[in-house]
Amino acid sequence: MNAPVRFQALTVSDLAISAGTTTIVRDVAFTLAQGRPVTLLGASGSGKSLVAHAIMGSLPTGLSAQGVIKLDGEDLLAGTPAQTRARWGRTIAILPQEPWLALDPTMRIAGQVDEVHHHLHGFGSAASSDRARADLADVGLAGREQAYPHELSGGMCQRAAIAVTHAAGASVVIADEPTKGLDAALRDGVVERLLQEVEQGRLLLTITHDIEVAAALGGMVGVMLDGALVEFGPAEQVLEQPRHDYARALIAASPTKWPASLLPAAGEAVVSACGLSKRFGERPLFDELSISVRRGEIVAIVGPSGCGKTTVGNILLGLVAPDRGEVERTAGMAPTRFQKLYQDPPAAFVPHQTLRQSLGDLLKLHGLDWMRAEASMERFGLGRELLDRRPSEVSGGELQRFAILRALLLDPVFLFADEATSRLDPVSQKDVFAILIEAVRERSLGLLMVTHETALAETVAHRILKLG
Amino acid sequence: MSTADATLVPITQRSWLTPSRMAGLALLGLLALFALSGPLLVSVDPSEQDFAASLAPPGSDYLLGADHYGRSMLARLAYGARLSFGMALLTVATAAVPGILLGLLAAWRGGWLERVLDLVSTVLLALPGLLLVLILLAFAPGTFGPLYLGLALTLWIEFYRVTWVTAGGVLKQPHVEATRLLGFGTSYILRSLVLPEIRPILITLSAFAMSTAIIAISTLSAISVGLRPPTPELGAMIVELLPYYAEAPLHVLMPGILIFLLVLGLQLATRSDAR
Repeated sequence: MNAPVRFQALTVSDLAISAGTTTIVRDVAFTLAQGRPVTLLGASGSGKSLVAHAIMGSLPTGLSAQGVIKLDGEDLLAGTPAQTRARWGRTIAILPQEPWLALDPTMRIAGQVDEVHHHLHGFGSAASSDRARADLADVGLAGREQAYPHELSGGMCQRAAIAVTHAAGASVVIADEPTKGLDAALRDGVVERLLQEVEQGRLLLTITHDIEVAAALGGMVGVMLDGALVEFGPAEQVLEQPRHDYARALIAASPTKWPASLLPAAGEAVVSACGLSKRFGERPLFDELSISVRRGEIVAIVGPSGCGKTTVGNILLGLVAPDRGEVERTAGMAPTRFQKLYQDPPAAFVPHQTLRQSLGDLLKLHGLDWMRAEASMERFGLGRELLDRRPSEVSGGELQRFAILRALLLDPVFLFADEATSRLDPVSQKDVFAILIEAVRERSLGLLMVTHETALAETVAHRILKLG
Repeated sequence: MSTADATLVPITQRSWLTPSRMAGLALLGLLALFALSGPLLVSVDPSEQDFAASLAPPGSDYLLGADHYGRSMLARLAYGARLSFGMALLTVATAAVPGILLGLLAAWRGGWLERVLDLVSTVLLALPGLLLVLILLAFAPGTFGPLYLGLALTLWIEFYRVTWVTAGGVLKQPHVEATRLLGFGTSYILRSLVLPEIRPILITLSAFAMSTAIIAISTLSAISVGLRPPTPELGAMIVELLPYYAEAPLHVLMPGILIFLLVLGLQLATRSDAR
């Protein structure tokens, strides 16, 4: 460690963030103290990431923050842009979402830590490589110094990113959705690491929509809704006895607490495959796999990342050809009645088209009526003002509901949901599944879902297929 | 900006007409006006000689002066601008249309078609562009045809390669797969998904190609292998006037300034906004 400066507290009071004359985040106040981390929970679109950017001083252009953010007496909002920039990495560090995208893919991890010591602190090359090794050992990556990011798991990449922030000497760590896209085992590893940060005297602000992460981190928990902090208090109190309605809904939205869904008996098979084999290069993904999905049935495929779950669904849709095996779909069905939902909702939409354009083109192509689309929008809780936005300007939960709406307009018989809710907050996840289960019941839709969350699969699915 | 809070942030419309684009378009507009209406207003034949006015300075009987044969500089510059601009436009259109279409085809179909096109473009790329133009010009020196053909043959490769690479990248994205699953056909995907994403880069590329063509035409004419005097071509004019630099330096500079303004206008008008 490079003579670490440890701060006592980071106090945020009366924070408001506005875009021009519209206030989009207001009345946010909390204190990060030594040994008492703060976790902000909330739906996507609740403003929790904006709070992190306000502290960091990296709000997108056009947005401005008012109020007071004090780090041991120094007002962070009052500084010049140059002072703000000087703090990045050295005083406050943000742990990126999906760190495997933030690390340099062409550089060994030791080098990425080493360069911080060398260029930022001006150590000689021998000294900085010793320090880099110590930093990596400190986060449990001893022996993996020469690995490239793609050779490491998601959790290891997250730890490598933490080692970089240690090298920079940052004492305030903001973790923005640190466990997004990780399965349960990896998630616990990251949480444990974050707790060690707190023990070492760093101030920690975590932004997450995972209640288990909030419970494990302890300290203080805040719940955000529509740009306001609606509940704030010690973790046990907020998570056990939430007072605000939304906080209650958020905590009740964990899949284990969902009511059992009653579904009618399944009908005939819409798509079935037998003897499927697929390999990528040398590595076999699966061999002699058989699967069928019937009308009005939910089938889940679970397994760790990289085991070929998505490939099975793509083979059933005809997007990928199997190496061996047969796929049989109900004869006489239009190809558009087999649809897919994507893991990352914005990726499934044309980036430069507004939702009005893409929906309009779809309705025109299939000769459908606007009124029907608008009726579904109302039913799915999607406001009309969303139509004039581009996919990147809409929150993930809303966009995924929009994707379901789009698919359901074509009256599908088979829907493949590829980790459709893994990037959504619990409340959005619950909303999305409520819509999906309703569609399965009303339209005898066959739903194939892929997930890494066993609890979710057990609650929702009729049948579970384990892979890997 | 993370997408998590995307819905909270109000949508901002970024204006397409940035100050630099406005300046570039205004400059191009003025030059086009000069090239098109100049000959009408002056109504002087650019090859009409008046030895009494040889090397007349600007502002005399002739607004921009006269060259060594006493031909009106204004008329010759207007004709030269029209020639350079028109030829560059024609050359770039001839290069861009097949280049973009073949690029889209290669990205879409792949397979042997992609490999054949790749081989052809690599071979042509290995030939120095100027050499190709010179070889073709050897068949019919001083005429427009070979000059145009040679330039178009060297310029289409850039359009083909850029379209192929960028369209290939777009076509691999999940939203293309999603659009196809929703029942949209090939023409919709190419027109509404691929073209809007590759348009900005193609516009920039066209401006560069136009600039290259304007400069190449002038350069080749200046070394007397392109268009020959008495055609009022900007490059040829510079060379014709060069011996009289001591007496009339401004006359020599005028065609050069015009080329500079044309290229500057093109670059400004297609400059992408630097955030």
